[in-house]
Amino acid sequence: MNDAETPGLESRLITTGVERLALLGRHAEALMQGYTNDQVPLEGLSHTALRKLLSARIVWRPDEQGGLKLTPKVRELIAEMVADEARRHVNADVAEALELIRSLIQSYRDSSSRGDYWQQEQQLLRLRQAVDDMNGRFADAIDSLWQRLNSDFGFVSQLNDKVRENDRAQKQVVRLLDGLALIDFDELIELVGSDGTLRKVLISQLQQQLSQHYTSLREVQHRLIELMARFRRMQARSRLVSGMAAFLREHPGFTPGNYARRSEVPALFNHAAPLTAAGAVALDRAQDMPTLSALLQNVPTPSRAAQSVTAARPAEHVEDTLIAARQQALKDDVETFYLNVVDRAEKAPISALDYLNQSELQWPPEIWLFQVIAEHQGLPHSEQRAFHLHQQEERASAYNDVKLIRDVSLGLAV
Amino acid sequence: MSDMSLLPHGPLLERLLAGEFICAVSDESAFKRLQDDATREAIDSYLRPLNRRVASSQEEGVYFLAWRQLDDSARDQLARQLGDTVNSLLPLLEWLQLVQETLGRDSVLSPGDVLKPGELQAKSEDNPSLRERIERLATDSFFGSQSDQLDAQVKQVFKRLREHGYLLQPHGDRQVFLVTGKVDYLLELVRFIRDEEHLPVDDEGEDTQEALL
Repeated sequence: MNDAETPGLESRLITTGVERLALLGRHAEALMQGYTNDQVPLEGLSHTALRKLLSARIVWRPDEQGGLKLTPKVRELIAEMVADEARRHVNADVAEALELIRSLIQSYRDSSSRGDYWQQEQQLLRLRQAVDDMNGRFADAIDSLWQRLNSDFGFVSQLNDKVRENDRAQKQVVRLLDGLALIDFDELIELVGSDGTLRKVLISQLQQQLSQHYTSLREVQHRLIELMARFRRMQARSRLVSGMAAFLREHPGFTPGNYARRSEVPALFNHAAPLTAAGAVALDRAQDMPTLSALLQNVPTPSRAAQSVTAARPAEHVEDTLIAARQQALKDDVETFYLNVVDRAEKAPISALDYLNQSELQWPPEIWLFQVIAEHQGLPHSEQRAFHLHQQEERASAYNDVKLIRDVSLGLAV
Repeated sequence: MSDMSLLPHGPLLERLLAGEFICAVSDESAFKRLQDDATREAIDSYLRPLNRRVASSQEEGVYFLAWRQLDDSARDQLARQLGDTVNSLLPLLEWLQLVQETLGRDSVLSPGDVLKPGELQAKSEDNPSLRERIERLATDSFFGSQSDQLDAQVKQVFKRLREHGYLLQPHGDRQVFLVTGKVDYLLELVRFIRDEEHLPVDDEGEDTQEALL
C-alpha cells in the first residue's frame, strides 16, 4: 500500500496492541461494571490508568460533565464474548467488506506485477483477514441467531418483547441473505484471474463457507417463522381470554344464541349427558356365589343400638315459638326475593345465592335454596307458570348420580 | 372390528360415558387409542344404541361423547348445558387471567402446565389487590367458596376446576395439578361464541407477520 508499512512499524504496533489488550484484563472488573451499568466507575482508577484507557479508546466521555462509558466496539466485544443476545450486534454490511476485498485484490496484483514480494505477502495477509472477517460476520450472526432461537428469546420476559425480538431477528436474516446475494462469484473469478493462491482464498474456500452460511440462514429463518407463529398463537390466546373477559364484565346479561335449537348443532356444543354404567349384586349365576358370599362377610356390621319397643312412642310435637318465628322470617325473606324478581325491569333470571349475598341476609345458603324451591312448589299452578326456576345441579361425583343443587335462579317466564 | 376388540377399552368407555373429556394429559394411552380411526369407529358402533358417538374438539385436543341423533330430550339437555357453560365463562376466563398475571407467565395456561395452589397463594398473600380478586372469584357461584380465608378460597377454586375437568391432580395427597386439554376446548368455545355473535373481541396482533418465504 504505502512505504510507511515497514517491519519497524509492525513491531511498534504489536507492542502497543499487547499493552492495550492487557488494559482490558487489568481493568476487567471496572469495565464489566461499565457494561452492566451505564458508567464505568471512576473509583479505583488512577489518573494514569484512566488516561491509558481513554487513549486506547476502550472508554470515552460523551461530554465533559458526563461519566465514563465503554466505547461501542468494546461493548460489542464483550457482548460477543459472553453471548449476551440482548446486546449482541449483527453486522450484515457485506457491501463494504466486498469493496475492501476488491481493492485489496487490486493492490495484490499491482505488487505482483511490480515483483514486490514482501508487499505482496502483506496484501495477501490482509486479504485473508478481510475474507475471514466477512466470513466471521456471517458465522457470528448465525451463532447469535441460533442462541436466541434455542433460548426461545429467553433474554426478554414479555411475550410482546419476544415477538419484537423475533421480528428483528427475521429482518437480520433477510439483511444477511441480501448480503450473501451481493457476493458474485463470477466477478471474483474474473478479478482473481489465474492466480492459484487467490483462487484458493477467494473462490474455493469462500464458496464452500458461504453455501454453508446460506443453508444455516435458511434454516434459522424457517425456525424463526415457526417460533413466531407459536408466539402469535400464544398472543392470540391471551388476547382472546382478556378480551372476552372484558366483554362479559361489561355485558353481564349477555346470552349467546341457543345453539342447541339449531338444525345443525355446532359440534363443539354437542356434549352428551353423562351416563353411569351401574351394576348390582346378582344371584343368578352359581359360579359367582363364593365371591359374593366372601364380599358379604367382609361388609362391616352396622353399629346400631337395639331399641326397646316401649321407648318408641309418638314424638311430642312441641312447637317452639322461636323456631316458628325464624321459619316465618325466612318465608318472608323468600317472598321478598320473589317480589324482587317480579318488580325488576330486566328479564334475566337472578341467582338465589347472589341475591342472598347481596341483600346481606344471614340465612345459611342451603336453607335459603331449600326455601326458595319450596316456595315455588307451594305456589298455585297458574302462578308457578309465571316463574321460571332453573336449578343449577351437579352430580355428587363421577359415579354417583345423586344431583346436588348448587344454586337456583329465578326469572319471569316470558 | 368385532366387539371382542373393545374389551381392553372398557375403562375408557366408562369414562367417556360418564361425560369425561379425554386428552393427552388426562389419559395419554386412551387419547392415543382414540386418535386411531378404527378404534373410534368400533366405539361409535358400540355406542349406537345409546345414541352417542365419539366427538373431538376442532383441534382434536380432546375427545368426548356427543349425541348421535339430536332428539328433543338431547336438545333440552344441550340447552341447559349451554346455559351452564355461558354462566361459567367469566369466572373461568378471570381465573385464567389471574393465574397468568399472578405467576407472571407469558401466556394463558396450556394443557400439561403444572400448577401449585401453594405457589398461587404465596404470590398473592401480600398483595391486597390479588387477594381481593381471588376472593371475588372464589365466592362466585361457579366456585362457591364460603370461606374468608385465602387458602380455603384457593383450595375451593382448584377443587371445582378439578371437578369440572380443567385440572388433574395426579396424586391425591399432593397439591400439584396439571392443566388438561379441556382448557383448549374452553377457548375454542369462547372463540366460537365470539365469531358466532360477532363480538368485538380481537385476538389478532396489531402488526402482521411479514411474508418472508
